[in-house]
Amino acid sequence: MRIRPPHTSPRSLALVALTTTAVLLTTTACDGQAASSSSTTSTLSLAIMGTPNSFAPAQLTEGQQAYVWSSLYDTLLLVNDDGDLRPGAAQRWTYSDSGRTLTLTLRTGMKFSSGSPVTAAAVKATLNLIRTSGQNQTQLAAVDSIDAPDDRTVVLKLRNPDASLLHALAGAGGVIADPQTMRTSGSALNPVSSGPYTLDKGATVNGSVYVLKRRDDYWNKQAYPFPTVKIKVISDRAASVNALKAGEINAGSVEAQQLSSLKAAGFTTKLIEATSVATLLLFDRKGEVLKPLGDVRVRKAINMAFDREKMVRLFLKGSGRATEQLYHPLDEGYDPALDHTYPHDPAGAKKLLAEAGYPDGFSVHMPSLYFTKPFEPTISQSLADIGIKVTWDPAPAQQTISALATRKYPMALVIDGLDPVPVQTRDYFSPNGYRNVFASSDPRLTRLLLKANGETDASKAAEVYKQIDAFTVNNAWTAPVFYIGVHWVTKKGIVFRGDGSSTQNSLRQFGLAGQAGG
Amino acid sequence: MILYVLRRLTAGLVLAVLVTMITFLLLSTSLDDIAGSILGSSATPARIEQQKAQLGLDRPVLVQYLDWLSHAVRGDFGLSYFTSEPVRSAIAARLGVTLSVVLVALLLTAVVGVTLGVLAATRAGVVDRIAQGASLFGHLVPNLLIAIGLVWLLALRLHWLPATGYTPLAEDPARWAASITIPVLALTAAGAASLTSQVRGAMIDELRKDYVRTLRTRGIRLRSILLRHALRNAAGPALTVLSLEFVQMFGGALVIEQVFALPGFGSYAFNASLQGDIPIIMGITLFAVLLVVCVNLLVDLANGWLNPKARIR
Repeated sequence: MRIRPPHTSPRSLALVALTTTAVLLTTTACDGQAASSSSTTSTLSLAIMGTPNSFAPAQLTEGQQAYVWSSLYDTLLLVNDDGDLRPGAAQRWTYSDSGRTLTLTLRTGMKFSSGSPVTAAAVKATLNLIRTSGQNQTQLAAVDSIDAPDDRTVVLKLRNPDASLLHALAGAGGVIADPQTMRTSGSALNPVSSGPYTLDKGATVNGSVYVLKRRDDYWNKQAYPFPTVKIKVISDRAASVNALKAGEINAGSVEAQQLSSLKAAGFTTKLIEATSVATLLLFDRKGEVLKPLGDVRVRKAINMAFDREKMVRLFLKGSGRATEQLYHPLDEGYDPALDHTYPHDPAGAKKLLAEAGYPDGFSVHMPSLYFTKPFEPTISQSLADIGIKVTWDPAPAQQTISALATRKYPMALVIDGLDPVPVQTRDYFSPNGYRNVFASSDPRLTRLLLKANGETDASKAAEVYKQIDAFTVNNAWTAPVFYIGVHWVTKKGIVFRGDGSSTQNSLRQFGLAGQAGG
Repeated sequence: MILYVLRRLTAGLVLAVLVTMITFLLLSTSLDDIAGSILGSSATPARIEQQKAQLGLDRPVLVQYLDWLSHAVRGDFGLSYFTSEPVRSAIAARLGVTLSVVLVALLLTAVVGVTLGVLAATRAGVVDRIAQGASLFGHLVPNLLIAIGLVWLLALRLHWLPATGYTPLAEDPARWAASITIPVLALTAAGAASLTSQVRGAMIDELRKDYVRTLRTRGIRLRSILLRHALRNAAGPALTVLSLEFVQMFGGALVIEQVFALPGFGSYAFNASLQGDIPIIMGITLFAVLLVVCVNLLVDLANGWLNPKARIR
């Protein structure tokens, strides 16, 4: 039975529905300014994709979250937009004793946000904390002892020369924290600042938005043109685009497909072609777990299995490029000629496998990690084409590090952020590098590594790194596939100054149009 | 009644203990990995062992769980392994964001679903077809697509509302409303669709019953018959649908939070799971279980209030 009375509609309910919706829409519609108020050139509103971890000085990690902590902590050295080391809190540095003593001289007049002076004792205390606890101990592993003979001098005695040390001192390994508070729980969420900004704790919502206020008493203030910086965590790239278009942020990184609409809306875009590298790491170079990998012909065959250009087109759609080496393409140690060592040639690869004694190929297990999943079918197919059957073992996200650190897997696909060449060399090719899981070594390479670590002249060191690069590529120590880049988008009036040469994320990369960088 | 509530709450607490214990047991298989994650990729096995000892992760699993439980009952959920943020306040802040969206969406779902359902049941023809069409639309079109469409229209074209972000209610009520409107509308679409179908069906069934005819012959006003009798009887199943919608909205908040960059419970739980941040995962598990237990209890109590036959004696 249907009832159709003339006045039977439940108007009260309808009224409530309409009122609720209207209240929501009208109160918010009147607040339209909310959508655009944050976008003034005095404020840099930047989106980053990941939630920052602890700001405790020993727990700092690289990546986009460095935009926050590198604004709160000064570092001993800086890396400029060209990727070159420059004086930071340390006005100068000198090596002596065959690269085993590093003396740093601090600037005068530097202060923490608490008003205490930044002294050599504070630097010594922070470096000692970093090298004995937390995330970045490896960065300072070569340091044997630290002295602070006076307020401005810090002397690092090294166990062995380490070419990556200066780069560490320009990053998380070289921050300066307030020794009075650096071990307290407060330093994890709101550290005393030695850097260009302080955290506006009242306006900051952990995990969501970090508001930074520029310090007037910072020695390098001119390198930071924005008095206020809002760093918003937006993990979804489409949401970043919406926030850009709505004026809620004025700088962010986006995918290539989203560029045209942003360009049409008047945004400036800049492609950084290489920020990370996807590599099939061939850990087991002696064939301890997977015998075939001990044969260089097999490793070369793996390198020849990939149609890198096609993969770049398929996956990156213009945000990256093919590579056969691990070094940063803008670094002096990079040799472009090496990128033509292993052309895509499945037939040639199969022939090499047959010569090595594996005409029918072989099987291999690799860890399936949360960031490798999109690439797995293509990698599997490429290797299957030359007779290598891959089984992907699922590894939960929290087991990513251990899956790659144990000797369970003879090879694995990784996507790592690019570091300066000395750091890449240490991590991938030195016997104790964390990406050299089977501690592979070779007398020729060992000699080159020693030479690079002991070389304090940058141009001479670059030549050595080219030789290291050539050795590792020609011996197929790894199978790099492509660099992954990023498109930075900024609102008119704001510029992204970097060209990707610097691998350190810093707010110095952002400036005002028409003004020189600091 | 009080005994019933106490019994349900006790059962809920037992459930919470069981669920958190199982969660902890599952996490305990990755303690080395978690300690390694805290120390970074280059951590040596010795340092990992040292880190485990520092966090108490080298003790027997049951001891660790009981230690966590004994602190949890005193309101101490510890600190995040990765941010050092106190878990209790962090969860409270993020729960506030998610509940803001979910509860308002639930309220709107109830209002829209009941209104459309009653209209569809009582008025045939165009009204019924429109209500059913709207319900079908809500069922068929994913929340995400509706959210994208609303962002495009209300945020990017009309500039009425923000596309991302959240403003706390206490900070600015108008901006709070602005920040949750699109997520709320997106969540409401699917919820209201389910509820409309449920209410329409239940109301049609009720209106066909003899007591309605009897009430009409006695001259009772139709509005009274609809609202005081038929809707009351039809409300039981609708409440059950609403409670399920709550769980679904709460569980599915992650997607909406990602799309709108809301610092809510879902994205917090997701990140903690990726990292293996045990204190946060445990806190989130406990809060989520207790929330679902409380909602189910409230729904059962409401059902009892609406329908004497459903009351516990």
